[in-house]
Formats: sequence, C-alpha cells, structure tokens
Amino acid sequence: MLSFLYARQSGVDDPVRLRRAESTRRVLSLELNHNRDVDRIHGNGINTLDIEVIDGRYMLSGGSDGVIVIYDLENNSKKPQYTCKAICTVGRSSRHVHKFSVETVQWYPHDTGMFVSSSFDKTMKVWDTETLKPAEEFQFDGNVYCHHMSPVARKHSLVAVGTKDPKVQLCDLKSGSRIHILQGHRGEILSVRWSPRYDHILATASTDSRVRIWDVRRASGSLFTLDQHNGDKSKASSEAVNTAHNGRVNGLCFTADGLHLLTTGTDDRMRLWNSATGENTLVNYGKVVNESRKGLKFTVSRGCSPEFVFVPCGSAVAVYGLHSGELITMLRGHYNNVDCCEFHPDYQELYSGGKDCNILAWVPVLRQPDIEDDETNSKRGGTQAAINPAFEDAWSSDED
Amino acid sequence: MSRKRALIADTFCLTKRRRCAADSETADGAADVRSSLQYLMTLFSRKLFNDSLPPVVLKHQLYSLHNDKTLVDKQVNELRENGELLMFQLGFDSEAFALVFAEDYRTKVLQGEAGRETLGTVEKFLAKLIPGCSDLSFNKEKMLNEFLFTDREITQLVKSGVFTVRDAGSWWLSIPNSGKFIKYFIKGRKAVLGMVKKSRYGEILRTELEERRTTSQVQFQMKYHVHDIMGAELVECIKTTSGTLLRYVD
Repeated sequence: MLSFLYARQSGVDDPVRLRRAESTRRVLSLELNHNRDVDRIHGNGINTLDIEVIDGRYMLSGGSDGVIVIYDLENNSKKPQYTCKAICTVGRSSRHVHKFSVETVQWYPHDTGMFVSSSFDKTMKVWDTETLKPAEEFQFDGNVYCHHMSPVARKHSLVAVGTKDPKVQLCDLKSGSRIHILQGHRGEILSVRWSPRYDHILATASTDSRVRIWDVRRASGSLFTLDQHNGDKSKASSEAVNTAHNGRVNGLCFTADGLHLLTTGTDDRMRLWNSATGENTLVNYGKVVNESRKGLKFTVSRGCSPEFVFVPCGSAVAVYGLHSGELITMLRGHYNNVDCCEFHPDYQELYSGGKDCNILAWVPVLRQPDIEDDETNSKRGGTQAAINPAFEDAWSSDED
Repeated sequence: MSRKRALIADTFCLTKRRRCAADSETADGAADVRSSLQYLMTLFSRKLFNDSLPPVVLKHQLYSLHNDKTLVDKQVNELRENGELLMFQLGFDSEAFALVFAEDYRTKVLQGEAGRETLGTVEKFLAKLIPGCSDLSFNKEKMLNEFLFTDREITQLVKSGVFTVRDAGSWWLSIPNSGKFIKYFIKGRKAVLGMVKKSRYGEILRTELEERRTTSQVQFQMKYHVHDIMGAELVECIKTTSGTLLRYVD
C-alpha cells in the first residue's frame, strides 16, 4: 500500500491504480461485521434490493409479503456500531400496498423522488417517495417477474417489463402508454436489463432458454440471440441449437462498463458474453447452483481490478473472478436461501437478502491499528471511549 | 467467518511472484494438460473391454487436477485444433464430453474394422477427420458436399459404430463399442456416489474412498471414478489438514 501511495505521489502511477488496488483489497476481505446491521422489518423473505446511484445512501427492499422498505445506509453517529435504520415503509396497513410478493424494486435513476415496484399481483406501481402513494399503476395480464429502467437514458423514460407473457412490454413513464412490445421469445420473461453503456440496448432472458438483445429504436425483431456454442451447430443436440443455456435463463447482469453480459441458468451454469457481438467468451465458472424458479438477482463489483461477480448460491453468496472464472470465496451467513444481492461501489460493501428475512451487510475488514498507536492511546487516558480516529478533531483539548 | 490467512489480490503479491518464478506453469501450459490426460488414460481399464476400446477420459476429470477451468478448456481446444485429441458427445449428459487421443482412436477403430466390408469407408473417413476436422456432429449436406461421401457410405459408417444417429439427417461422432463403457460408467458413478452418501455424515476422505473395496457395480478403478465425481462437482471438495474431504451434495 505504501508503495502505491508513493508511486501516486511521485507521478509514476495513474491515480486510478491506487484506487483500484485498494478497492480490490477491500472486496477480497468482505466479512460479516457485528458493528453493521440492517433493521429487520420484513416478516417474509426479501426478494429484491436496490441502492440509489446518486448518493449511495438509500436502499430499497421488496419482500414476499408485498412490503417495501427504505433504509438509510449512511453512518452519521460517531460510533462504529451502526444499524441501518428503516426510514419509511409501505406496510401491510397501507391502502396502496401490493397484494402479493414484490419481485423487483428500482429507484428512479436520476433522483430519489420516485421508485418503481413490480409484483406478482400483476401490477407495476410508480411511487412518489415523499407521500408513499403510487403516482401511476400499470396492469398486466400475468405475474410480473421483473422490470428495469435504463440507468443512462436521458431521451426516453421507458421501463422494460418481463411478465408471464412472452412479449416484453415497454411502458413509457412520461406518457403512461404501453404500446411498444418486443416480440420474439416463446416463454415467460424472467429477467430484463438495459445496457449501462447505450440507452437503446436491452437484454431479455426467458424460460425458452434464449437471451435476446434488442435495439428499441428498431421496428423489427431482436438484434441477435446469444448462442452458447458460438454458432458451432455440431456441439448441441438439435433442439438446443441457438440457446444461451440448457435450461431456463433466470439471471442477467451487465458489467459496469456495459461491454460484457453475464447470464445464469437452471443448468447450473453461468456464462460471460461479449455484449457487442454476442460471443460466448467461454469462461468456465464451474457449477453455479441455481434452483430458482423466478429471476435470480446477482451483481458485479465496480472499480476493482479483477472484477468480481457475487451470485447467490443456495444459502451463501459465491464470489467469482469475472474473467478468470475461479471461485474466490463463499460468503456464508444466511440461514436460508439468498435471493438477491447488491454491491455498494463507494464503500465496497455487499448487501444480501434472503428467505430468512434478514438483510446482511458484508463489510471490508479494516486494517488492524499498529501496536504503537495502541500504546499512545492508553497513555492518553483509559477513560476515553474508543473513537474512530477519522471523527476525532485536532483542536479540542481534554483539560476542560 | 474468520479467515486465518486473508485473500490477497495479485497486485499485492509482486515480491512473492518473483521468488516463485520457477514454479510458473504458464510457459508449458499445453504440456501440462497433455500430461494430465496421459495420467488419466492410465487409469482407464483396458482389459475390461478386451482391448477393443481406446482409452477414454472425460473432460471434466481434468478439472479435478487443475484449478483453472477456463485454461483447461482452452488447452483442450488447442489440442483438438492440432488434431491430437478427439472430443465426443456421450449421450447421457449434455455437458459430459469424452476425450480420446487421435492416434489411439485410429488404431482401435481400424483394428475393430479389420476384415469387415466397411473398412474402406471408415479408413477414408478417418483420413478426412483426423488432421482437419474438430466437429462433434455432422449433417447430411456436409457429408455429401464437403467430404464427398455417398448415402451408402454414410450407412456403412453408422453400421461400423463411428456415427450415431442424432436427428434426421445428422449424426454424432462416436466411439465404436462404447455402449458397454457408458453402461459401466453410469453404474459405477452411481455406486461411488452411493458410497459417499452412505458414509458417516455423508462425507469421506478421498484417500479412504480410493482404498475402499469396489463392489461388483464398480468395474473401473476407483481413482477414475473419484476424478469424475470431483470434476463434475457431484461432490463438494473440502481441503482439510488430513487431505481432501468429499462431501455428498444433494
């Protein structure tokens, strides 16, 4: 670490290099910490988590009981021990609460005044955060498995919705219309994702084992389908030609730069694709246990230098190296299946929620203070409470 | 969960890397996989099939010997491009691929065909296949146009066992007389997994499993099956101070 600091100071290294090295070190030391907790509000499993992109301060969670909770992740108390408080909830007593399980929640990408939630009660609601009342409600014919708003879109405010129907629907938030439909899949749509690089590229995953990439500006069908054998028709049996997985595809995640796409399927495999050409990079992650009947929500780290994938595998979260495919570690701590996980890029923390109604915060282990510091602390006076040196001020004296 | 030794990223390991430069495997990567293949081929029991089958190894058995699966896949593909290795799709699992050295395959097939009327066609096909083609399956247009085979010759290839029917008008490449191999393999795999499952707490040390007496269900060597179940991740491999522990996974 000192060599990195010196190299940055003298100009030998790019400033980004120190940041990336330190982020990677922090992600590799993720652990459960008794100092960090998240309020337990949900009475049933947690299906989805989302951290807002502007400040990284507020987190939304949606549960199987239809309840939506907003947490404040920032630690303003001067103590290291902190519980992320639930600021407000849309509970069972609210008139507008979803009737069945909430499958996906997402903050409006440009500010926290609004968020969108979709649920198995066949509706998608657009909520006003201030009043916690839905400003708009979209009705669908079948269970809504997932929805996603583009994080980079400035020209459009389309929400892509994946339901039981094989047609992907695009709902416009500005006009309230839902006439734009993307046809091509033959099974239920389990996951939809906009590209973080281009605001017109959408990826959808379905139970017919196919993943399609769409350009929403085009009137005709999908741009291409992801093929796990890269066009080598000889490898697959004849029904499995041109499929992304040998089972249902239930998870999609773009990397932060939008150049690669990860997909997971019920054939217990995870694949990494080049999102521009649709080529399977053939990185072999081994068996990634996947028994989810709905979508699986997994995430990729940001700002580290080998990037990491955090996938819920049973009751643990598996951490894989993105391009090497090796299993780095399994984060164990949940008592039941893990359903979703979300990475906080600024602090390199991971939040995971599961069927055991807990949201666990995986925090990087801090470096232990040196022995010298301990001695000087004890000399100063044993009555002083242990304060994080970052919060200590240098101008007040103890001789009052 | 407290880890005794923290995970360190590669960027921080510069000094360690310089010291262990002697053990780096990147220089002779392909030789690494080839030597593992040769080791696994020795575990294959030839006598069981009266020497009519070439030694067959499954691709996932290599994963139990090497850490990096992507690298293993890449090197296997390199060997296939060079024409040294042939890969076959076995019927029972879409992910299980069998690997045979090309020379072994050629000798055994021609040995099996000796004296039969299909010998000429098979020789012609092997001559086309071995140096150039690395496909797993063939369809009619390719056979008729690219390889210039007639319908009668394709029927002869199916009769000889080199082709297995995949679909109307397409065929898998296969190993002749491999039916017995697949039968014994599946039975043996099930029996070995049953042994792990029935052990105390559903787990057993690898060395202990390899020393167990094989029942009549298990025809291959125990080590062959252990590499198979480890590589296919049908058991969880846990490193302990007394060796590798295999735990049954539901």
